[in-house]
Amino acid sequence: MRTDLSRGAPVRATDLSAKDWPQLPKPPRQVFKWVATTIIAAIVLWSFIGLDAKWSRLLDAPADLYTLGRLMFSQMEASEIRPLIGKMWESISIAWMGTLIAAIFAVPLSFFAAENLVGRPVAWIIRQVLNLLRAIPEIIIALAFIPVFGLTPMAGVLAIGVGSIGTLGKLFYEIIEGIERGPIEATDAVGASRSQRLRWGVLPQVTPELTSFILYRFEVNIRASAILGVLGVGGIGTDLTQAIRFKEWGTAGLALIIVVVGTIAVDTVSGLVRRRIVRGPGASSDGGSFEAHEAELIAESVND
Amino acid sequence: MTSGPVGVASPESRVDGAARLPKKPGPTPFTIVTTLGAVVMTVVTARAVGFSFEGLIENLTRPNSVVEGLLNPDFSQIWSERSRAAFIETLQLAVLGTVAGASVALPLALWSTRVGNPNTFLRSIVRIFNNIVRAIPDLLWALIFVSAVGIGALSGLLALFFFSLAVTTKLTSDVLDGIDPGPVEAANASGAGLTQMLRTAVVPQILPSYSSFVLYNFELNLRSSAVIGLVGAGGIGERIEFFRSRGEWEEMWGLVVMFFLVVMIIEAFSVTLRRRLV
Amino acid sequence: MIRFSNASVTYPGGVQAMRDLDLTIEPGEFVVIVGLSGAGKSTLIRAVNGLVPLTSGQLQVNERDVTTLNRSGMRDLRSEVGMIFQGFNLVDRTTVLKNVLMGRLHEAPTWRTLLGLYSKADVHLAAQALDRVEIIDKAYVRASNLSGGQRQRVGIARALAQEPSIILADEPVASLDPPTSHVVMRYLQQIGRELGITVIVNLHFLDLATAYADRIIGLRDGALVFDGPGSECDADVFESIYGRSLTADDTMAKQAAL
Repeated sequence: MRTDLSRGAPVRATDLSAKDWPQLPKPPRQVFKWVATTIIAAIVLWSFIGLDAKWSRLLDAPADLYTLGRLMFSQMEASEIRPLIGKMWESISIAWMGTLIAAIFAVPLSFFAAENLVGRPVAWIIRQVLNLLRAIPEIIIALAFIPVFGLTPMAGVLAIGVGSIGTLGKLFYEIIEGIERGPIEATDAVGASRSQRLRWGVLPQVTPELTSFILYRFEVNIRASAILGVLGVGGIGTDLTQAIRFKEWGTAGLALIIVVVGTIAVDTVSGLVRRRIVRGPGASSDGGSFEAHEAELIAESVND
Repeated sequence: MTSGPVGVASPESRVDGAARLPKKPGPTPFTIVTTLGAVVMTVVTARAVGFSFEGLIENLTRPNSVVEGLLNPDFSQIWSERSRAAFIETLQLAVLGTVAGASVALPLALWSTRVGNPNTFLRSIVRIFNNIVRAIPDLLWALIFVSAVGIGALSGLLALFFFSLAVTTKLTSDVLDGIDPGPVEAANASGAGLTQMLRTAVVPQILPSYSSFVLYNFELNLRSSAVIGLVGAGGIGERIEFFRSRGEWEEMWGLVVMFFLVVMIIEAFSVTLRRRLV
Repeated sequence: MIRFSNASVTYPGGVQAMRDLDLTIEPGEFVVIVGLSGAGKSTLIRAVNGLVPLTSGQLQVNERDVTTLNRSGMRDLRSEVGMIFQGFNLVDRTTVLKNVLMGRLHEAPTWRTLLGLYSKADVHLAAQALDRVEIIDKAYVRASNLSGGQRQRVGIARALAQEPSIILADEPVASLDPPTSHVVMRYLQQIGRELGITVIVNLHFLDLATAYADRIIGLRDGALVFDGPGSECDADVFESIYGRSLTADDTMAKQAAL
């Protein structure tokens, strides 16, 4: 089928070789690419060789997982569904209250982190605080709150609350910095005070997006609150951990299913509301755009 | 929530008869319902978690040893043999988990979109799988694997693999929605197979975002790899849990503070790299 | 050879874009299709390589019955038919050479494509194709760094790299300025003449059509209303195709003068 190009190819109707061999220009050197590839390959190799994992067990992992799955999903008892759903609700509650607390602190903080509203030095300091909060997982924060509140849901609420301030604040100030100058200048032009400027120049522009980010964070926090339960602060995570610890596989399986179904259910409802908020009434329900925006923010993430 | 200013009386004073404001639109039913929903949700959940301001203030102002430990962290522990080994294990877990998860995430993301998977049935299967993986958080994966495979770094790696899979797949499939369909049409018109089309017309378009997501995922994994140790899946978390269980708060906080300082430094590198990519 | 017999296309929304078309195009012909937007030009072109399936009737391309082709038969057909697009459809982020190598995908094993390893023969063919449209010096430049005319030439090279017997060009100059449009049209004409490739071009501008076409096909509401040499295509014929008299919008020369 292909023309034999190495020795005087037979002339076909579609043969391209009307001229002599064309010479391609020299390919450019891609130093950065090669250096980066080598470094990454070296790091991966180092990790692979260095990690003290029992690799032989990896081959058994699917079988182990299957055994575990069978144990979990064959001994479930219907009578446990109701109490476990109650525990899932507790997890959702922890996530909601935590998100609310985070939002209450993040909104004012983000105003002071937005360079178009305050001076650069102030913004920089606030941003470092937000970064620090963002870097620490909720569960580590929870370690600090458990001795304060005991093994109660409130420890989880505060852990999630404090842990989400960083992320929410960062997303908020990015939104605020992205708003149009016009309305701010207009409020300045009529001699508005700083708080009036926030109220009339900034808030109306960003409210829909802020709201939808808070909801999005709520979805993320449901997962966080489920794992906080591992420490014993309540919610479905606590039951799941207990069940696994005491090898009550049926309960563990049921709890796992309820976590997955509950999380997806809340995601779905919250996602619909978010889309409606951002796009206004009559928006189509096909997903993507908000998450795409989030993905864009991450891709272009500015961390300073 | 999304309504305009509420409670502002419409101005009665007019310059002349012509300048009458149109009737101010009230909040939409959607706004009313969601605002009401949010208020009800808050009241109900506040009761569920036993929220009270008095309790909050009282507990937060009471002195306790953990917070005192945070104020006087003991960094000497960091240099012990075990802590150093645990720290290196954490880094290795994060690297391998990211690489493994990311390599499977790319095809999974492609197969979850119309362009990469024309078969509606198979596409829904992939999407359902992705959603389930995404609904299980990192620590739960670790719990599952610790009980299935046993305590140790392998369980941690498997947990991070699934966690990375979820994150990178989700982010990547979101940017796939916005690609330029032109090259796809061109590849199809040239008689390319599906895989060839994806590799030459789709992947180059998303590669910068994808690489950036992988790096972002690595940052997340660094943090997760500290957490999964709490249930025995290897890494620095095992040391944190060790000090916590013994109530040695100064040592615990020293380790935590040090670790997250390093995480923030690595993150700063990663962010610089990500910016170069996009 | 391309032969439409009694061919029709109705889109799911109910729009009939091709009505009982009977048309034969011989190998090596340079055919320009004219008509208002929505007259079915794109549908006709995309039917040839199966991007738009017929709803009824027959279509033969190179001895293949397009309406009954399975998946792999369709890919074989498409590998013999090169296509050029109004929006160029290049991958902006990759190099010119890699874009042109897309034309070799049908011949390359999938594993090679996955690894990004193209055979020497494929690279040579791509180089020849680039050379023919005189843009080989840009082989390692990112497609996004080229001008519109250059990008369309890369588009032509990509089609040529397929070693096609037919080239379809869907409004190839609609995004280009008049001088560049002429350059692109001349390349297409040359390719048809020198390589014996059948070329079918959709055009909006009548003067471009009469300047380059051996044969002009006029479409109106999906039906064939004119079929003859460019010289016969005068103002009267034009009116029958467009349903109105010629305006400045319909010729590139006059529009450019505006």
